[in-house]
Amino acid sequence: MSTDKRHEVQPDLEGVPHTGEATLPDGHLVEPQADEFRRARAAPSDPAWFKRAVFYEVLVRAFRDDDGNGSGDLRGLTSKLDYLRWLGVDCLWLPPFYASPLRDGGYDISDFRAVLPEFGTVDDFVVLLDEAHRRGIRVVTDLVMNHTSEAHPWFQESRRDPEGPYGDFYVWSDDGSPYPDARIIFVDTEGSNWTYDPVRGQFYWHRFFSHQPDLNFENPEVGEAMIDVLRFWLDLGIDGFRLDAVPYLFEEEGTDCENLPRTHEFLKRCRKVVDDEYPDRVLLAEANQWPTDVVEYFGDPATGGDECHMAFHFPLMPRIFMAVRRESRFPISEILAQTPAIPSGTQWGIFLRNHDELTLEMVTDEERDYMYAEYASDPRMKANIGIRRRLAPLLDNDRNQLELFTAMLLSLPGSPVLYYGDEIGMGDNIWLGDRDSVRTPMQWTPDRNAGFSLCDPGRIYLPVIMDPVYGYQSVNIEAQSNSSQSLLNWTRRMIQVRHQHPAFGLGEFSELDSSNPSVLAYARRWGAPGSTDERHDMVICVNNLSRFPQPVELELSEHAGEVLVELTGGVHFPPVGELPYLLTLPGHGFYWFEVVASERDREAV
Amino acid sequence: MSSPTEMLADLTDALWQWLPEQRWFAGKDRPVLGVTVVRTTTLRGHNGGGDDPELLHAVIAVDQGGAEPDHYQLLLGLRRELPEHLGHAWVATGDSRAVYDATHDPGLTARLLELIAHNSEIDGLRFVTEPGAEVDAVHRSRPVGVEQSHTSLIYGHAYILKLFRRLMTGPSPDLELHRALDAVGCPHIAAPLGAIEGRLDGASVTLGMLNEYLPNTADGWAMATASIRDLLAETESSAAGAHPEDVGGDFASEAHRLGNAVATVHRDLARALGRTEAGSGELPRVAAGMHRRLDAVLASVPSLAEHETALRAAFDQVAALSGPVTVQRAHGDLHLGQVLRAVTGWVLIDFEGEPAAPLAERIEPVSPLRDVAGMLRSFDYAAHHMLIGETEPGPHSDAAREWAGRNQQAFCDGYAEGGEDPRSQPALLRAFELDKAVYEVGYEYANRPAWLPIPLAAIARIAGHHDL
Repeated sequence: MSTDKRHEVQPDLEGVPHTGEATLPDGHLVEPQADEFRRARAAPSDPAWFKRAVFYEVLVRAFRDDDGNGSGDLRGLTSKLDYLRWLGVDCLWLPPFYASPLRDGGYDISDFRAVLPEFGTVDDFVVLLDEAHRRGIRVVTDLVMNHTSEAHPWFQESRRDPEGPYGDFYVWSDDGSPYPDARIIFVDTEGSNWTYDPVRGQFYWHRFFSHQPDLNFENPEVGEAMIDVLRFWLDLGIDGFRLDAVPYLFEEEGTDCENLPRTHEFLKRCRKVVDDEYPDRVLLAEANQWPTDVVEYFGDPATGGDECHMAFHFPLMPRIFMAVRRESRFPISEILAQTPAIPSGTQWGIFLRNHDELTLEMVTDEERDYMYAEYASDPRMKANIGIRRRLAPLLDNDRNQLELFTAMLLSLPGSPVLYYGDEIGMGDNIWLGDRDSVRTPMQWTPDRNAGFSLCDPGRIYLPVIMDPVYGYQSVNIEAQSNSSQSLLNWTRRMIQVRHQHPAFGLGEFSELDSSNPSVLAYARRWGAPGSTDERHDMVICVNNLSRFPQPVELELSEHAGEVLVELTGGVHFPPVGELPYLLTLPGHGFYWFEVVASERDREAV
Repeated sequence: MSSPTEMLADLTDALWQWLPEQRWFAGKDRPVLGVTVVRTTTLRGHNGGGDDPELLHAVIAVDQGGAEPDHYQLLLGLRRELPEHLGHAWVATGDSRAVYDATHDPGLTARLLELIAHNSEIDGLRFVTEPGAEVDAVHRSRPVGVEQSHTSLIYGHAYILKLFRRLMTGPSPDLELHRALDAVGCPHIAAPLGAIEGRLDGASVTLGMLNEYLPNTADGWAMATASIRDLLAETESSAAGAHPEDVGGDFASEAHRLGNAVATVHRDLARALGRTEAGSGELPRVAAGMHRRLDAVLASVPSLAEHETALRAAFDQVAALSGPVTVQRAHGDLHLGQVLRAVTGWVLIDFEGEPAAPLAERIEPVSPLRDVAGMLRSFDYAAHHMLIGETEPGPHSDAAREWAGRNQQAFCDGYAEGGEDPRSQPALLRAFELDKAVYEVGYEYANRPAWLPIPLAAIARIAGHHDL
């Protein structure tokens, strides 16, 4: 969460529709309605799209500056959709682009129905959606339901007029004593979950920063208002929301105020609105917790899931890093074995890096020390409880490891989320504050400002990466798209392969027996095993977590007589027999195989 | 057609040839003087129709000049035509049928599981399911790759059946301890699910043990080797040398968990089978055994002589210890190859005790420190085995010694969390380590002279320092 204080007050929304332009006689604020805007065309209908999709997280500010003011914008992003389609991305995830004082990276929303002016307008967003859908790309964005910015007109009204229609929109208290058992999340900056407001003369409740008052979901009007916010964007055509900070919606005395039953009830209500009115749209829960707790956010398995369609699998990510450094599959095997089955209509989201630090909340103290020692040799690389570096620098820019990590991201159970720039191995800048280190401009070309913006370099929101290894002169989309051996083209190829095999997105996961502790092997099976049905797919993924070449014997005898076909080159490996199947892998090497019925099927005629 | 026993009796010449080639045959160092068939049992008969294979259980006696012959268990298949994929299992041809090692034929081994699942008894062979366990006979078997003294079959991903080859009458410590640990709910074993038992020379004999199969395990030796390999590579790429705590492959957290698992197994064995304070004669007796083993190795390995004084002193110190010593049943032959890293944690296997020792010795209550010493020695072996052939001390040997020390301490730390800190009895622990190292010297001298420096260096180090 940024401590950036460029904007202390409600950003200037003059000239664009925004909340509070007028007030109704009963005191309610007039808010923009979806029918005041164009609507994007719909994406092709496909209820299970999110289970197969490759997601791509992109920061609007960081991708492409269209108007030359030094900051990326929605029009800039729209102009790069052809690139994203070429790469094979199915869905964009945009962190918040709403009106905001930007004291918490835009997660402090001051108007749910207006776009941050430096990014553009709601109309620009509709164009982005429309153009994305035209290319078969969907778009989801973050929505913070738990709290607003203190600059939100709702909060301004609430503090000004306790008896007005917004008086009960936030959690107020005379003495700040309720809910003593709720932990303080931002221990570095906050001393209490209550802050005194001199305007109203009462304390307000906030689970995060004191400039982010929590909404009062006890008040049914708040729930209705938030559902109307969902409807506003869904009507415009958005494909879903990543719901930020979902565990904290409700409070209850005598509890830690997290994951309460009423919070789940409210999510079920949101889900029902989506199911009834907006088919094919998804809700994605952000709950940085253990998988056994996160599964609660999928809802009732008997219904296939009636809360969120997706949730991030947070503990997996650090363990991928740990496993490779330890040259041992067990960190990954353990966490996957502890991951419960999820309802049939749901999917995990998995990732290696994102716009936040590489979070180490879901590891033990000892594991955290280990991760710091291995991946954050310089104290500047740490942030909060995590490591603020990009994928390539984390892996010493080692191409073999970059490929191994990406191959695991694209083949482990869940929908992979790529982070912008990691497809070309972009670097970070640990001299920048907080998590800005991993939020520098996308590197398009070797030209001025890396082709990100035509502005004066001094105006750019963050300097482009210029060091000799990761600098934009050498690491950029243009250069890599022209080189057949580049990481970019390799990544694109792997995404293509993934798309050709439904097993990656839809298949069951099972780890394969291997006696070599450095080799992680697993099968992804979709459809009835052994069935002759066309709708059957099985792939086997073998990953060498060691830097040294390794042999592995896989127990595949149930596939005796079948053939393994390597997926990137189509090479037929020897048929499987009764004996263990021997493979040798180069250091940090991996294989993806398709299991096909028999050699004869593919013989030349 | 002759009876199976007669048929087999005609094939003893062939068995004579075949036996010494089998990995599990214990008498490779002595010539086979005679083979006799003690008994045979048909476990699966010929059901007419085509080339339906038969399954024969046999016990043979092998005379190698000892006072008593050694008994071995065989499982043999009989077929008119041996399919190509079973060619490597051929033993002989008798009555115009191929006789082959049936453990390679999943069609026949399925019968063993079926018999266990149904609690069958055939001709004195008792196939039993453990009380409360349920065995499902549908799985297909495959043999485990490399094994020393027995043959194991894995059924699907569900069970592992260990078939003892050289038979020892009396209770099998392996089965006995698995049952005892299971009864107290020990989490660090593969649960026993069934057994095959019979009688030999009027005494009971365990022929097989069926356990839960733990998929996707790796043994401790392979895990430790991966860590060492990483460390040694780091010493090469770093001018300042590398320390185990600084490199990615650090094993200490695993060693810690392993120590804890071993302590838990010891505690559970004590709970199940008791733990007693041994009398005042115990320690002198233990020391006398150490001296005796030293005498034997000294007689054949001259290079051990320079350490004799220090070794004797360490053993005498044990004899002179005054405090009480607790004894209990223990693993008996614990090292990194006897522990498996499963997805949920460490598991101990093979509770047979030291294979060369007579049964009476293997079931004696001992100080659990013997197991701890076995693991400590194993860490030392793991650390140094990749340096065999390197004669000059240097960054590699420094790193290896640091690795061993770090993981030995981590193991003891983990053990201390689940039981008494083994370092609280330093003299006894040191003596057990030295005793084990003396055994290793004898073994390496006879079998792998290139490895001899590992235990010799350890003796010099341990006997030279009086602290662990």
